[in-house]
Amino acid sequence: MELTDRELVQQCQAGEMSAFQELVSRYQQKVYMVILGLLHNREDALEVAQETFFRAYRKISGFQGGSSFYTWLYRIAVNLAIDAQRRQKRNPLDFRETMDDLLESQDEAARDPFADLHDKELREKLISAINDLTPEHKAVIVLRTIEGLSYKDIGEIVGCSEGTVMSRLHYARKKLQDKLSAFL
Amino acid sequence: MNGCEDKTASIERWLDGELSGAESESLRAHLAACAECSEARRRLEKLQSALTGVLLAEAQRVDFAPFRRAVQLRVNEKRPWHQEALDWMHDAFPVSRAAWVVPALIVLLLAVVSLESYLPGWRGAGRNAFATVDSIDAYGRNVALLREYDTKTTVIWLYQDQEGENEGAEETAPAGPAF
Amino acid sequence: MKVLKKLPLRVLLFSLLAMLAVAVTVTAQKQPQNFEVRIGAILASNQSDEFDARLKGLEKQLRVLKYRSYRLLTDKSENIPWKGSKVFEIPGGRSLMVAPQEFQDNRIGLQVRLTEGQKPLLDTTVRIANKGNFILGGPPHEGGVLVLSISAAVQ
Repeated sequence: MELTDRELVQQCQAGEMSAFQELVSRYQQKVYMVILGLLHNREDALEVAQETFFRAYRKISGFQGGSSFYTWLYRIAVNLAIDAQRRQKRNPLDFRETMDDLLESQDEAARDPFADLHDKELREKLISAINDLTPEHKAVIVLRTIEGLSYKDIGEIVGCSEGTVMSRLHYARKKLQDKLSAFL
Repeated sequence: MNGCEDKTASIERWLDGELSGAESESLRAHLAACAECSEARRRLEKLQSALTGVLLAEAQRVDFAPFRRAVQLRVNEKRPWHQEALDWMHDAFPVSRAAWVVPALIVLLLAVVSLESYLPGWRGAGRNAFATVDSIDAYGRNVALLREYDTKTTVIWLYQDQEGENEGAEETAPAGPAF
Repeated sequence: MKVLKKLPLRVLLFSLLAMLAVAVTVTAQKQPQNFEVRIGAILASNQSDEFDARLKGLEKQLRVLKYRSYRLLTDKSENIPWKGSKVFEIPGGRSLMVAPQEFQDNRIGLQVRLTEGQKPLLDTTVRIANKGNFILGGPPHEGGVLVLSISAAVQ
């Protein structure tokens, strides 16, 4: 029977490394996707994701269960990603170029539900439009998109009220739609 | 326009699962009857799908086995003491808190420096409580200067002229205080 | 996070405004226009054991002089402008000229001259704490000695 996050955290706090490894496995992809949504650079996102789990391991003894484990973990991830974004020196276009490389491969075309040229342009425009958002707006739209988190959880992660989450999401979506109107 | 601009926010909240049952029913009924709002819903859903597709596609490319090994290595690694100290400071004083420290210190320093202007004598009787005599000229008479520390009193005592201008007074009062 | 970005700027602006306010206030405080000078003339003697109740606030200071009796003769208060002067009439045909000279570090510099008729008895310059005092005494008077409490406060 699969252990809950709470149980894994308790085992981890008791010193069981296997419990921590299970938590990493459970959340690695989601954490990476959230960070990637903020940084748009694969290498930086992987580095920050590693740092996220490392920080979580260091702080896990102080985790008292006031919030859910995943909101606590995402909070670390978002804060680190925003810090990294400020330091980011690489051109965000690197990600677009990386995506172009991926899209050129046949395997990608076969698996990619947006295989035609129109959708490729949509994705490029989408990445550019996301990059134009402020870190605060990016954070809420990525968390909502990838995780389907509630406004309450998102608010806990980024440190604002539900009302602020709602207004930021509305603003971000409006901006994205304005820039992508021809494609939607 | 038929006043549906405000409906976009409701549609978003509905798609996000943040509307109550009654609100959802009401919106569903509206969407069935309003082409403009239906179109808005379609665009939002397509945007959502595009966003998810972009990020999910990328995440699925990553082999997380090396990622997990890298995390494990970092966890097991013995960090140098200065790195531990920096990490502790970073945790104890995140940027948002640190941003307040410097200006708060400036204000506090200025407040202490200027406190005397607002609350003169707030430090209580100290060294400055004594009167200090910068100069004294008794025109040839004897004069004594006394400082009494318990009461922080400075006394300038002018002794009577010894040539007896006040001879009568001398009979009834001592020549000076019994310091 | 936009709030975080703005936060240091707001805090900096607040600090600058606070510094400006403090600087203006402190500067204003450094140049007082008026001083209130109060002269209490007291007869100290050993003729009785009377202690004038009106001198309660000065009792500890006066007891330093070790006389048995203290009686308040006059109590006068005047506002004196900075760099101005005022002559107080003192019992026994004496007068006391007081001139505030400076105000620094919350201390008032006073020039004081005690005269008897036309004859100067004492010239002194004293620095006292704002709202503080010093005692000047010794001239004989009515079977005892005259003690003056000289105090000053910034207006």
